[in-house]
Amino acid sequence: MAIRVNPKIIDDLEGYGAEDVHLCYHCGNCSAVCPHADEFNVFPRRPMRYLQMGLERKLETSLEPWLCYYCGQCSDQCPRGAEPGETMMSLRRWLISRYDITGIARLFFKSTKVELAAVIIVALLTGIFFLGFGFWQGDINVYDGSNAFLPSSFIHNFDLALGFLVALFIGLSAFRFWWFSMGGKSAVPIPWWLYIKKVYLLPWHFFTQKRFADCEKETTRRIYLPWLAHLGLMLGYITMLFIVMVFVKQLQAGPEINWSVHVFGYLASLGLLIGAVYMLCGRLKKNRTQYQRSHGSDWIFLVLLFIIALTGVTQHILHRSGLLLAANIVYIVHLMVVVPWLLRMPFTKWAHMFLRPLGMYFSAVRNEALARQKSGIETTVQARKVA
Amino acid sequence: MESRECKIGVYICDCGTNIAKVVDCEAVREYISELPQVAIARTYKYMCSNPGQELIIQDIKEQGLERVVVAACSPRMHERTFRAALQTAGLNPYLFEMANIREQCSWVHDDPLAATEKAKALTQAAVLRVAHHEALEQMMVDMCPNTLVIGAGIAGLTAALELADAGQKVYLLDKQDHLGGNLARVDLTAPYLDSARDLLTERITRVKTNDNIELLLNSRLQELKGYVGNFSATLVSVDSDDPEENKAQKIEVGNVIVCTGYKEFPAERVTHFGYGKLPNVITSFDFEKMLRAGRIESKDGKIPKYVAIIHCVGSRSPEYHGYCSRVCCMTALKYVHEIKSAIPSCYVSDLYIDMHAFGKGHEDFYRRTSEVKTMFLMFGKGDHPIIRSAGPKDDCEMLIEVNEQLSGEVIEIPADLVILMVGMEAREDATETARLVNISQDKDGWFIESHPKLDPVATTTDGIYIAGTCVAPKDIPDTVAQARAAAGRILAKIAKGKIAVDAIYAEINEDSCSGCRICNELCPYSAIEFDDEKKRSHVLSVMCKACGACVAACPSGAIKGRHFTDQQIFAQIEGVLR
Repeated sequence: MAIRVNPKIIDDLEGYGAEDVHLCYHCGNCSAVCPHADEFNVFPRRPMRYLQMGLERKLETSLEPWLCYYCGQCSDQCPRGAEPGETMMSLRRWLISRYDITGIARLFFKSTKVELAAVIIVALLTGIFFLGFGFWQGDINVYDGSNAFLPSSFIHNFDLALGFLVALFIGLSAFRFWWFSMGGKSAVPIPWWLYIKKVYLLPWHFFTQKRFADCEKETTRRIYLPWLAHLGLMLGYITMLFIVMVFVKQLQAGPEINWSVHVFGYLASLGLLIGAVYMLCGRLKKNRTQYQRSHGSDWIFLVLLFIIALTGVTQHILHRSGLLLAANIVYIVHLMVVVPWLLRMPFTKWAHMFLRPLGMYFSAVRNEALARQKSGIETTVQARKVA
Repeated sequence: MESRECKIGVYICDCGTNIAKVVDCEAVREYISELPQVAIARTYKYMCSNPGQELIIQDIKEQGLERVVVAACSPRMHERTFRAALQTAGLNPYLFEMANIREQCSWVHDDPLAATEKAKALTQAAVLRVAHHEALEQMMVDMCPNTLVIGAGIAGLTAALELADAGQKVYLLDKQDHLGGNLARVDLTAPYLDSARDLLTERITRVKTNDNIELLLNSRLQELKGYVGNFSATLVSVDSDDPEENKAQKIEVGNVIVCTGYKEFPAERVTHFGYGKLPNVITSFDFEKMLRAGRIESKDGKIPKYVAIIHCVGSRSPEYHGYCSRVCCMTALKYVHEIKSAIPSCYVSDLYIDMHAFGKGHEDFYRRTSEVKTMFLMFGKGDHPIIRSAGPKDDCEMLIEVNEQLSGEVIEIPADLVILMVGMEAREDATETARLVNISQDKDGWFIESHPKLDPVATTTDGIYIAGTCVAPKDIPDTVAQARAAAGRILAKIAKGKIAVDAIYAEINEDSCSGCRICNELCPYSAIEFDDEKKRSHVLSVMCKACGACVAACPSGAIKGRHFTDQQIFAQIEGVLR
């Protein structure tokens, strides 16, 4: 049965950053140079073709964009300047907006202004809420303990509520991701036990990002800096998220330093700051292929992250230095950035933190299912031949 | 056979090591020196070099040689060189023979002994033959400076202007009532998107105001007699078939340029695209008409939202034409640009087998077409897209199913208008034209060049030139280049005033001719005329190519091939066998 094309999809993708995909004439250099393309996953070429032809359904069910870490070698090799790497990036943005049930992701990706406005509104509302709350029940000169301006028990509950909301939307997106690529919309029947057999891949890819390091395996460089920065930032982020969610009371307590908690905080802050600065500098200098083009959402992500890390560290230092008023003010600013930043996450690129390892896990499951299907057919054919 | 007494010089070439490494040249020299007619025999490293030629010239002068044999490479390579050397030494150039001991001996054999024996035999054959050679003189004939140009398309207009601007008289003939030919049917041109009308208008104005050009519209060639430099053409009007009423016009010309162009492939021959049934499936020429009228629309006057272009209709297929029509790919890209500039919101898909973007500026043009977001879809050779009417729920007129090669997916694309890129084919009257001017056609009906690479605008008939799309499908730059090349060739001949005709041709001994006319029909160059009064045939030596067909066929043995007489050939055979 012939698949009906949607010729408009290529115009739609332009808002997500894929501006040059129409230039591709399918020489296949990109897929030849890609360290991750294999017999089942011929990318970036195949998704580029689907995009050019308007095969929306094929794109929606595709896992290939999630197998790419955007090292940029494909774009460097492209003879037509069709930017396959950037196209894969754009497809990830587009897929996030497809998985997102609310339509917010699409709105944000399509207009940086809308995203920025949303961030500012939520920041202001957060600021007003915490100031009001602080003045109503506490003293702005008290940082911790009873009568604190922003008591840690309240922040803890607030964090948990926020985390639940974010997890809910991420979970919904992840479910739709599974449904599109592996479930109802997928053509390959997948035995349930394959999910269990391959489940170890989920934490493996999440914590090591080994495939990103593999992006450079052909070169002589010993350490692939973008991978290190990316990993540092992600690990810093996940550590910080964890200790804030679980140990915010211990974290906020002072002025003495509780090393058993704080050491993780310091390491995480270091990872976040170095990672953010490295990436910001890269994007400003455009010193690597993957930093050549920055979508509005990339800037919002990095700038806010940098402010969060900076204000977090600053309020901690101010608190330990006894400048409690200043510490509380910086804390408010910190929260004003953290809340919109966290809330926008399921609808922006950040979702890739969960979706990419998930995609790699799904891909491994699907590849094995395909291989089994193929060898099954071969066995049947052989059996028939023998008969 | 008796051998003639004369002094022959034999020169055996080593050709560096090309000959000498297999053939023992010294042994050949010794053997050949024994022949009584041979006055002198020499070997030399490179006979064709200046010192080598000088050796021959000196011997002719000092020893009074009467004939010369060079045993070296193929005569196609150096016969001219040595003939010129003889002429320099004051000997008639036809008193020369070449023995090919390289291509026909050293290059194809590896047994030195046998090869040397063969070289001896070949050289001996040349020696025996050359003794019977006669001094021949080249003929000079007058060159009429007028030219007949058949076809007033871009090729004809260009050739006519080139000749007329050089001060020569041109008769420009066309069957139609207007100038411009097929190009007059085209809107813009690829890859620079300049207007075909602009290209033509400038030429047409210049042609019409040029006193050296006589326009003969609505006319066709009825008969062409004579030979290079001296043709007599009969032209008649196309309007009337009545020979009484139709006054024939006779003109004298020295050369003819045939640029009769092409005809579009009739799309109705391909049934699977529904051309003629589906109202919005049109050909590229239908679309050109639309473009020139300035409105792209479907049959019911709606502006199309989706346009599909299908390449290679009638081209590159075993069923229709096997060849590529060369212009359709870029024309299709041109349509994309024209559609996108007229209807920016329109989605254009381009269904091709291979994108042929070989010409100057073509690859850039292809890229620019990608930049305007054309949906390029590749289908397989031997396969074809299937068009059907869309249903009431669809937002388009038709749906096209394509087995897309780059993705491996079978897809369905929407279309409101489908343009079939029809190729070029030879005109129906090409066979008649070929017969009239005595040139040949290939299996597809295109006129055949004298040499496809080295002599692309001349034909095997002297004085008849071909240019443009009557030779093969080609684009405007190539057509114009050929037209100018043909005109240039003719101008060079006119500048000489007279033309030399090769001294080698067939002669009929009128006393022996029985008037049976077997040779008349046999001659591939129409070089034999029958004299009704004398009841004898005679050869128009200017047109004769010395193929020898008539010589062999004549039942009375009345025809002699000059330089290929029976005596000469028998002597040569004897030399090989002795």
